[in-house]
Amino acid sequence: MLSIAFSAPRISPINASSQIILGSPHRLKLTRAPKPGANSPLNLEFRLQPTPLPTRWPPSRPRTLPLSVRTLRSTLSSTRPSPNHFLSTPASTPSTQTPQIRTHSTSSVSADELSHFSALASSWWDPMGHSRILHLMNPLRHEFIASCLAEGTPSPNQNPSSTSTPSTATLNYLDIGCGGGIFAESLARTIPLDPTAPAPTPTLAASMTAIDPSTDLIQMAREHARMDPTVHEHLRTGRFKYLNTTLEDVLAGKAGTPTAASTPNPSSPSTQSVPQYDVVTLFEVLEHIDPKTSTPLGFLTNCLRALKPGGWLIGSTISRTLPSFILNQVIAEAPWPIGVVPRGTHEWSKFVNPDEVKGWLQEGLMRAADTGVSRGGSAIAEGMRWKCVGAIYIPGIGWKMVPGSEDWGNYFWAVRKEI
Amino acid sequence: MRPISRAVLRPYVCPTCRHGISAGRRRFGSKSDSPDLYDVVCVGGGPAGLGLLAALRASPITSKLKVALIESQDLRKAKAWDLEPNQFSNRVSSLTPSTVSFLRSIGAYDHLDVNRVQDYQDMQVWDGQTGSRISFDWSMETSPFEDMRTVATMTENANLVRALLRRIADSGDENLSLFSNSTVASIENGSDLKPEGPDLSAWPVLTVKPTGPAAETETPKRIAARLLVGADGINSPVRSFADIPTQGWDYGRHGVVATLALADPATPPFPASKRTAYQRFLPALGGPIALLPLPDNHATLVWSTTPENAAYLKSLPTPAFLAMVNAAFRLDMTDLTYMMGMQSSSDSTSHQDELTWRAQHTPLPSQIPPPATAVQTGTVASFPLRFRHAAQYISPRIALVGDAAHVIHPLAGQGFNLGLADVASLSKTIQYAVSHGMDIGDLLTLERYSSERYLPNAKIGGACDLLHKMYNVPGEGPVAWARSLGLGVVDRLPFVKSFLMKNAEGY
Repeated sequence: MLSIAFSAPRISPINASSQIILGSPHRLKLTRAPKPGANSPLNLEFRLQPTPLPTRWPPSRPRTLPLSVRTLRSTLSSTRPSPNHFLSTPASTPSTQTPQIRTHSTSSVSADELSHFSALASSWWDPMGHSRILHLMNPLRHEFIASCLAEGTPSPNQNPSSTSTPSTATLNYLDIGCGGGIFAESLARTIPLDPTAPAPTPTLAASMTAIDPSTDLIQMAREHARMDPTVHEHLRTGRFKYLNTTLEDVLAGKAGTPTAASTPNPSSPSTQSVPQYDVVTLFEVLEHIDPKTSTPLGFLTNCLRALKPGGWLIGSTISRTLPSFILNQVIAEAPWPIGVVPRGTHEWSKFVNPDEVKGWLQEGLMRAADTGVSRGGSAIAEGMRWKCVGAIYIPGIGWKMVPGSEDWGNYFWAVRKEI
Repeated sequence: MRPISRAVLRPYVCPTCRHGISAGRRRFGSKSDSPDLYDVVCVGGGPAGLGLLAALRASPITSKLKVALIESQDLRKAKAWDLEPNQFSNRVSSLTPSTVSFLRSIGAYDHLDVNRVQDYQDMQVWDGQTGSRISFDWSMETSPFEDMRTVATMTENANLVRALLRRIADSGDENLSLFSNSTVASIENGSDLKPEGPDLSAWPVLTVKPTGPAAETETPKRIAARLLVGADGINSPVRSFADIPTQGWDYGRHGVVATLALADPATPPFPASKRTAYQRFLPALGGPIALLPLPDNHATLVWSTTPENAAYLKSLPTPAFLAMVNAAFRLDMTDLTYMMGMQSSSDSTSHQDELTWRAQHTPLPSQIPPPATAVQTGTVASFPLRFRHAAQYISPRIALVGDAAHVIHPLAGQGFNLGLADVASLSKTIQYAVSHGMDIGDLLTLERYSSERYLPNAKIGGACDLLHKMYNVPGEGPVAWARSLGLGVVDRLPFVKSFLMKNAEGY
């Protein structure tokens, strides 16, 4: 039993194709998962599926030890299916349906990560739950964005309303990997209901498009957004959008299509051939990219392609150093009450160091500047505007920006696409 | 003990059971018509509620929030409050310098009638049993060439309420609703306005009903609050709605208040603007008596004593009442206990005669206040002293401030200041939330307020409770000896004293 659990999630050759599925993981799962009636406690095959299952608890991941609690939990979840499980399984769909796999060679979505975070969906907005530490970090993201925008915003000439004063909310945001919407919703809240009104915050948001490949999380994010009438109004008018899609699809102009629930908006940037955003945010995303299916370089290049000239690509991630290993793997993922993030959230080997990000972005800026006729020169990389500052969580006090602590663990970074 | 403690227990509860309890009290949303939406709804228009509103309106970050305040009294009357220059209301509070600077920062202090406000720079506190004393002033912190630093500022509550109302009126009436002469008929949870509207099932929805003559003609209004603030006093309806328990006890003591006129001091104060507050602990009578300066040689009296003594004092004719007040600052415990038992109906000079005769045989300390010469008619009143502390100050979309969160013994004059410190902290928290895109009713927002205020309030409340208990042990026992030693030590150790004074100042 234990050895099975250990070997089960290993990526099989068949699963290699499932790694690059876009949008909903459930479409693929339908071909493999037994009918709901077959979900008996003794059906070990059920858990042998290499496909990510939308179980309540995170399924075993390659890194997991055989004796992990998660193995026990996955047993539990098969004997006592959570309501969540049924909710996300369209039982009426015949299991023989042809899987709708769209193979997109550049998708950066990792199936393991997808299932892990989908499983956390139910507690995403619980202020005392698994994501508490992320909630606490959120105000720092606003401050960091404000500090970037203070250095410059996309030139107002790009904007149709050139009469706008600097304090008018004019910036269009794209949040990649929005998860349950912690950042996206908080930024959407700062969009003024009256577009001509002065921006209430220095983040100057006029619109927010938030994307995530997890259907569960997007669904949950939309549900949560309805609980705030202001945010709900923005969702209704289309100034704020949650799309269950990937960056690659947004770039291909397919952003509105993957899910029925999204509201197409004629004024949205996605109707243009190449969408252009003033700010693209990438909070706690880089460390979750699956190196098997996508390279951070390719991914970051795509992020830069979505930016207007003069726009900012802003993110945060964790560096891969000894202090960060101790902080993020040993302490932060320790059992309650010491640990603050769920086990299996991070894989230290996927962490990225600031100089790596900087290198990829330099390369990415050159690639993003490539056009059919000319190639972006190295001058672009040399003149790159780069910001980086570390952030440290002190229990009892909270998150603090500590310049120079980039190598200890969490850090914010930003790069500006020059005009 | 709702959401927070449940969240702490969460790891120990299996997922299925968790699902069952999570719905909780907010399951029952009844009406489907959509209520008016407000960002902040404050129940209670006392100094705390009005202070919060004024602070929110004063900050450029929060001035755009849509705010409402519900008060059962007539706020127009409170705004038009006026009294003769030498008359003073008996509801007076001492504002610490940090409270004053908060009121200045929100622009409310300028609206105070300064002729009715009195600073004092010195406070004499002594033990009626042992005679040990302590003097609180800033003389050892400041040089003799500076102006003396203020220990506290006395103001009538009505003066402050009027100033706050004027400050709020100055900010315009955009996004502001003052429900004066109105009560909260009910608080319930909103409903999910599917499919078009937002999900208000976690939003408190209040039914506001006008009182008085308007009750028949006007229909009750329904308003939903992103953040519902309970500034509604010791029996807070908001606290009951949030299901927050409160712990505490009644002291079995009453505070007797009165506005007094004092005789001219025997030696003029130096410098001339220096005013002194006096407090004498009377262990045999159940609590301290305090005389706090008001302008024009007036003073406000706060005498904490047993309900029986309070009733006796209130029943006395004016000359006898004045004799008792003067005796309480001069005579020893035995004499006072005797005078407290004198026939109140006997001839009106008997108390005065008794005091005159007994004072000849009592060594008088140097720090006694000038004798009280008159009582302002109708100002003798009493109120019960209680201790209360809410188990939490916050709940989703709920915050408690002021007396709704904590009621403490008045012996240090700190209760009012703690309430305004709550308001300062909550308004700062809301500013932070608005500028960072946070939902101002979210627990993650409110926990900043709660963590900033809970411990300081508990500390001050506990210290006052301890002082009350220590100074209620009559006789010359070890407790009396220990408290005298403590007071003497503190008085002689400048750093301990300035530490205590800084604490009392609220910084």
